[in-house]
Amino acid sequence: MNPGVAQPESSAAALVQVRGLHTRIGAKTIFDGLDLDVPRGSVTAIMGPSGTGKTTLLRHLTGQLRPDTGSVRVDGEEVTKLSRRDLFALRERIGFLFQNSALLTDFSVFENIAFPLRQHAKLPEELLRDIVLTKLQAVGLRGAAQLMPSELSGGMARRVALARAIVFDPMLILYDEPFVGLDPIALNQVLRLIRTLNHTLGITSILVAHELAAIQKVADRVYLIANGKLVAQGAPDELARQDSPWTRQFFGGEADGPVPFHYPAPDYATELGFREAHR
Amino acid sequence: MNANLRRNWLLQGVVSLGECGLFFVAVAGAVPKSLRYWRELCRQVWFVGAMSLVIVMTCGLFVGMVLALQLFNTLSIFGATSELGTAVALSLFRELGPVVTALLVAGRAGTAVTAEIGLMRATDQLDAMSMMAVDPLAYVAAPRFLAGIIAMPLLACVFNAMGIFGGHLVGVTWLGLDNGTFWGNMTSTVMLQRDILDGVYKSIVFGGVVSLIAVFQGYTAPPTSEGVAYSTTRTVVFSSIVILAFDFVMTAFMT
Ligand SMILES: Nc1ncnc2c1ncn2[C@@H]1O[C@H](COP(=O)(O)OP(=O)(O)O)[C@@H](O)[C@H]1O
Ligand SMILES: [Mg+2]
Repeated sequence: MNPGVAQPESSAAALVQVRGLHTRIGAKTIFDGLDLDVPRGSVTAIMGPSGTGKTTLLRHLTGQLRPDTGSVRVDGEEVTKLSRRDLFALRERIGFLFQNSALLTDFSVFENIAFPLRQHAKLPEELLRDIVLTKLQAVGLRGAAQLMPSELSGGMARRVALARAIVFDPMLILYDEPFVGLDPIALNQVLRLIRTLNHTLGITSILVAHELAAIQKVADRVYLIANGKLVAQGAPDELARQDSPWTRQFFGGEADGPVPFHYPAPDYATELGFREAHR
Repeated sequence: MNANLRRNWLLQGVVSLGECGLFFVAVAGAVPKSLRYWRELCRQVWFVGAMSLVIVMTCGLFVGMVLALQLFNTLSIFGATSELGTAVALSLFRELGPVVTALLVAGRAGTAVTAEIGLMRATDQLDAMSMMAVDPLAYVAAPRFLAGIIAMPLLACVFNAMGIFGGHLVGVTWLGLDNGTFWGNMTSTVMLQRDILDGVYKSIVFGGVVSLIAVFQGYTAPPTSEGVAYSTTRTVVFSSIVILAFDFVMTAFMT
């Protein structure tokens, strides 16, 4: 266990509670005893180097992937032990914003948002239309209802995906790198939506992101994950001031540190032929 | 190629075959649930059918024409050109109709299905569906699998009809055989049970095989552009091999 890191205090208010998470994919250890709490109604940011397992963590929370050992509780339910039916019921209460929006290419914007409703609720067409238009209005794209996904810009697609994610009024939204590839204007629009959804509807949010400035504007708490473990946590500005190798590299923008600049390689001088290789 | 690599390659083949078998069980298990999405099934049947119709009709015409030309030469050696209609029809119904149609559908619709599903995987659409509590096996895989089974025999019938038309064009219109003999001998010799239905059974099996391979390749395609491209190629290669192999086995059992 990393000595500098306080363990998250257990609380009944936690909507998501992860304990002792261990996961291996192939030969690679992704999580090696991860503990994490997400309080109800909060915006929690998760940061970490690429390939650390942030997406994998989100997939654990929704039961798309089961960990080897450890407990994942969402709203009091042990996700790792749920049956397929209960899992699907739980997923209806969780919105998931995929890294690349994942809109269904065959359907218009309107039908994309109507899709989960049509699958799970037998609503009169009139009511369905009202719900879809309300969600589109919330993300500012009511006028784009008839466009096809291929006609949308990256920021618009992200917002449509967000409208789809909130169509069942979820208790929890998981955002997987929602700002990647967005211009500053689109980034601020998405940021504003995340904040609005959290403040006005009280939706708990988990946000995987790298954009420090954006995180400081919206997150209540940041977890920094590396090498399968929690290496730092705290409020965003608190964390930025913390003085550990991880936070220095992550928030101080140092190229070298715990995450090495150099990909593992044999000794440089040896490879150039200046020195005999050790036998 | 060293022995180790070859064994690996063989092992890989066996592993994929096993995976494909398990995938078949999973898709078959999802079929009852997929009947809820009958609209999607209709759309896919229309898709496979409409996409392959032009190529199937064109090829059927030419295959029938060349068949008549070749068989006319052979039959005239024995002075049996009056049986040209029968020979063309039997070749088409029993063999060429199901096989060539299946090869064409694999190349036209099979690749499209693989690429489509591969891209859906690569852009997280399949994961998004299961996050919306919709089983992609039931919504995406099963309708496309069933669509192949339904569309293939229909397309083979179109192919056969065009082929007979082409044979008639060459035999009667061009080479001057008697129209009545052409049709009369054909209809009196070709049997519904033995000749036509056997061909239909073949088509149904080929339809299932082609669409299973296409869906499986798309489903398991690595989520990259090379991965999807490579999987579409494999759909054609594997489908062709399996179609011809199954054709031999089924013919052996039917005759
Ligand atoms: N389906 C998979 N097959 C093999 N390796 C995977 C798979 N999913 C994730 N990984 C591996 O797990 C690690 C964590 O992936 P991911 O959770 O996507 O990282 P992040 O989102 O933090 O960038 C990566 O090294 C990746 O190679
Ligand atoms: Mg990721």
